[in-house]
Amino acid sequence: METLAFFAYALYLAIIVGGGFVAVTNPDLVRALVGLVAAMFGVAGMYFLMNAPFVGLMQLLIYVGAISVLIFFAIMLTRPPAGGEEQTPSTRRPMAVLAAAAPVALLGVICFKAFKQTVAVPDETGIKELGMGLLGTYGLAFELISVVLLVAMVGAVLLGFKRREEA
Amino acid sequence: MSSLFLFHLAGLVLLGLGFFGLIQRKTLVGMLISVELLLNGAGLSIVASAKLTAADDVLGQLSSLLIMGLAAAEATLVLAIILVVLRRFGSVETDTISTLRD
Repeated sequence: METLAFFAYALYLAIIVGGGFVAVTNPDLVRALVGLVAAMFGVAGMYFLMNAPFVGLMQLLIYVGAISVLIFFAIMLTRPPAGGEEQTPSTRRPMAVLAAAAPVALLGVICFKAFKQTVAVPDETGIKELGMGLLGTYGLAFELISVVLLVAMVGAVLLGFKRREEA
Repeated sequence: MSSLFLFHLAGLVLLGLGFFGLIQRKTLVGMLISVELLLNGAGLSIVASAKLTAADDVLGQLSSLLIMGLAAAEATLVLAIILVVLRRFGSVETDTISTLRD
């Protein structure tokens, strides 16, 4: 059973790495979006592997379902006449690798040394407990996130309006 | 190597790829894709930390849900901002729209 879980983990990690790599390097933005969706599927698989099925389903629903469609709209609305390709100047690439590697190395050392695992096999938390937490202990955060979503929606609509020409 | 570190490793991979893309991409849409990768990694790390240690499980899962909500709000606003920038500059390439040094 342990080896089976490890194989599932390796599969999901491969999906995340491959999808993420396509998402950040492919010059065609539509292909990059497909890579992003693959990486999100891999993360959802990791949630299921951690015995958190509700978060996994929300990952599929919100990220794969909603946000990817939003990004697709952004790609389609901004597509230049040449056809969505972007050329990266090669001078920027070494700096990007450096800027990505530095925080990852630092956090990796901290994660490896500081945090110790105390639970061998996580048990599932029911949706009931999550709902009680959402309406009880963490009710304020729940209300605030709905306000944030409302403000973001109204702000997006306001920004989208074309200003009327002054006569 | 504990399984907690393995899950953190996946989060770190997403973090590294996201930072790399954020700096290396030239258009605003490509940067938006990279930011989504970053937020995915953050959520994964938080849920792993809550699930595999003695920390409160409900808190970890709800934090991840809040991150997803914030990501949705951010994507909505960035889409609107991209449209405004496109209308004003006629392009979403960062080199064209950075006018501070001119």
